[in-house]
Amino acid sequence: MDIKILFLILVPLGTAFLIPFIDLINAKLRRFFVLLGILLESYLIISIIINNYQSLKSGDFFLQYYLGGWQPPIGISLAMDALSLVFAVITALSLFLIVIYSIGYIGHHEGKYYVLYFLIAAASMGAILTADMFNIYVFIEMLTITSGALIGFKRSQEASAAAIKYLIYNVLAGLLFFLGVLLIYFNLGTLNMADISQHFASLESGIQLFITAIFLTAILIKMGVFPFLFWLPKSYDTAPSPVTAVLSGVLSKVYLYIFIRIFWTVIGFKTLEALNLNILLLDLALFSSFLGHLFALQSDNIKRLLGYSSIGHIGMITAVIMLNTEAGFYGGILHIISHMFMKAGLFVACGYLLQYTRSHAYRDFKGVGIRNRSVFVAFIALLLSMIGMPPLLGFASKWYVLMAFLEARSYFGAFIVIFGSLTAVIYYLRYIAKGFEEIKLTEDDLKEEIYSRPLLSVLYREKIVSFITYAYTAIIIGFGLGFRFFDLPLRMSIESVMNVERYIELVLGG
Amino acid sequence: MNKLIKKIMSLFILAGVTYALYQNFSLMPEYQGLNEGLSSYIIESGLNDTGSLNLITAVLYDYRAFDSLGESTVIFGAVSGIVLILSRKMLPVSSKGLSFIVKRTLGIMTPFIALFGLYVITHGHLTPGGGFQGGVILAAISIIFSIVYGSAFDYRRYSPQTKTALETGGAMIFLGLGLAGIILEGAFLHNLGFLTAETGTLISAGSIPYINIGVGFKVGAGLAIIFYSMIQKTFEEDF
Repeated sequence: MDIKILFLILVPLGTAFLIPFIDLINAKLRRFFVLLGILLESYLIISIIINNYQSLKSGDFFLQYYLGGWQPPIGISLAMDALSLVFAVITALSLFLIVIYSIGYIGHHEGKYYVLYFLIAAASMGAILTADMFNIYVFIEMLTITSGALIGFKRSQEASAAAIKYLIYNVLAGLLFFLGVLLIYFNLGTLNMADISQHFASLESGIQLFITAIFLTAILIKMGVFPFLFWLPKSYDTAPSPVTAVLSGVLSKVYLYIFIRIFWTVIGFKTLEALNLNILLLDLALFSSFLGHLFALQSDNIKRLLGYSSIGHIGMITAVIMLNTEAGFYGGILHIISHMFMKAGLFVACGYLLQYTRSHAYRDFKGVGIRNRSVFVAFIALLLSMIGMPPLLGFASKWYVLMAFLEARSYFGAFIVIFGSLTAVIYYLRYIAKGFEEIKLTEDDLKEEIYSRPLLSVLYREKIVSFITYAYTAIIIGFGLGFRFFDLPLRMSIESVMNVERYIELVLGG
Repeated sequence: MNKLIKKIMSLFILAGVTYALYQNFSLMPEYQGLNEGLSSYIIESGLNDTGSLNLITAVLYDYRAFDSLGESTVIFGAVSGIVLILSRKMLPVSSKGLSFIVKRTLGIMTPFIALFGLYVITHGHLTPGGGFQGGVILAAISIIFSIVYGSAFDYRRYSPQTKTALETGGAMIFLGLGLAGIILEGAFLHNLGFLTAETGTLISAGSIPYINIGVGFKVGAGLAIIFYSMIQKTFEEDF
């Protein structure tokens, strides 16, 4: 019973509940209150790491909390093993950076924005920590509703269209997930993940296939892998920059965590192999990665391009995890971490760079680099990391992914990794070149500039916004030089993914 | 021609999806009796454990109270999102309301509707019902006011600020009872022992009735807020 892991969920939840009250009292206090909430969250994470440093090193780290005092098969329990710890730490770090960025970026409707933001924080922590099947559905629903509202934050026609599309796809996915949970309860009479995992193999193979297929469809829609990727670029494009950073930096990684948790811990990879789904899924994910890079090549809009490249990277991560080897997980989780920081950093930088342009389109990118030279250099460093330049974090993770594919003799996968990097060079260089193009303003341009649509966003506190961009770049460069730092956490999390029996024993017996 | 091709294509896709779903559902085994598992435990000892006669409420607010907290937070998030996207600056005064007869009749009926809503909320642990259901009935009063007496009637009496305060107050009651569980009983959302009384009376079943009241206010105020932000208009839209 460690109460700190409960407060990881309750602190953002309580912050979200209290913000409307603070609004009624004095709206100026809100900013400090938001900072207080996120600092408390970071303190909890740090103290969990420091208090359990010995057990982390020896490899028997496990914390759990019984809600309402009910033991696992009856009630809900929260469980934190090494894999959840790694995801909780990186999610909290991302949320911390993006909330400070939002303080600089969001200028209107701040109250509701922070409420929804902290609900996302609480829901992502909850989805990472919970050890109960229905509870994970509740948190997925919370993530869907709140992020759908934030996508429509700009209230323009495109933003509403994107939000509705996002909600239709994702609520459908949630419904399928719910159907799967129902079927599991109907057949096994339990909702605890460890308990399900113990008895799942005893089901008939027909019902096994049905449950697996339903969960697979639901989670593939959420992650944006090939047959269901069409909601993703539109919503990435129209949402304001901090929201896009949350979508790609936090949400897609939480869904990847749920994917790993369900298909390794609950259903079990052996079941996937017995149903012949693993090869199909590997090829599907690789094809999705290929398509993502191909679409990115023809995209005319920087944020949409980054969305397509997200599809490419998430497909690659899914594929390398599906290899089910230690090297695969090592590369996959390292790439999850590095992609989280690179993509969120890129969207954050985009929010700064595109503040004076009229749209996100390629032709409006002209001269952006000359106006804001230092932020543009940071932007280029992040792009190089996406491509996989040696001293940066992207290189290290891509290298391990490539090695994992070669080790498993999956040459199509290795080809996709190289292909992705090469096409990325092409589509990013276009934008870098355009950014350094000088603008020759004619009188007509000026007239059009003044009389046409208003600017996308006028920043509120410019210093904070550019500072966060530099912070992301520093993370990428620093960890790129010292990527060995991730060695211990990665080995721990691989151990906890592979050793399912230990998880079951600890959850049910602890 | 183009439309025809589109229709035929979507027909084919629908047929494919139907076929796939049929294949999948036909894999399911015949009904062999529900695997009882947890439910038999809850039916046997639910009353002893929680003191609530209504076992569904016992599951919702005691065994799996954390899920209910999550579900009511989903409503809270949905309300915030709808207010964020839809709220406009002004409320149109749609009409002066319906005829005198309807107004008088509703005036007599409204207290009873409110009483029924409160009854459903407070008797959640004894009879079917609870916070979610009773809250919806309370929200219906607000909607009836807007239709029968004109949209400004309810809006002037209970401003959006009051409703927001009620909504967050309900959420804070839920969270606060959970935290009280930590202090008094040692676990989050543990049923509070000192509140238990004789089974079957109105004030019994530990903290369950109080959680019901919190959820009821939250859901009622939340749905009323959703309704009022949906009927608002911009200046450009015609009235």
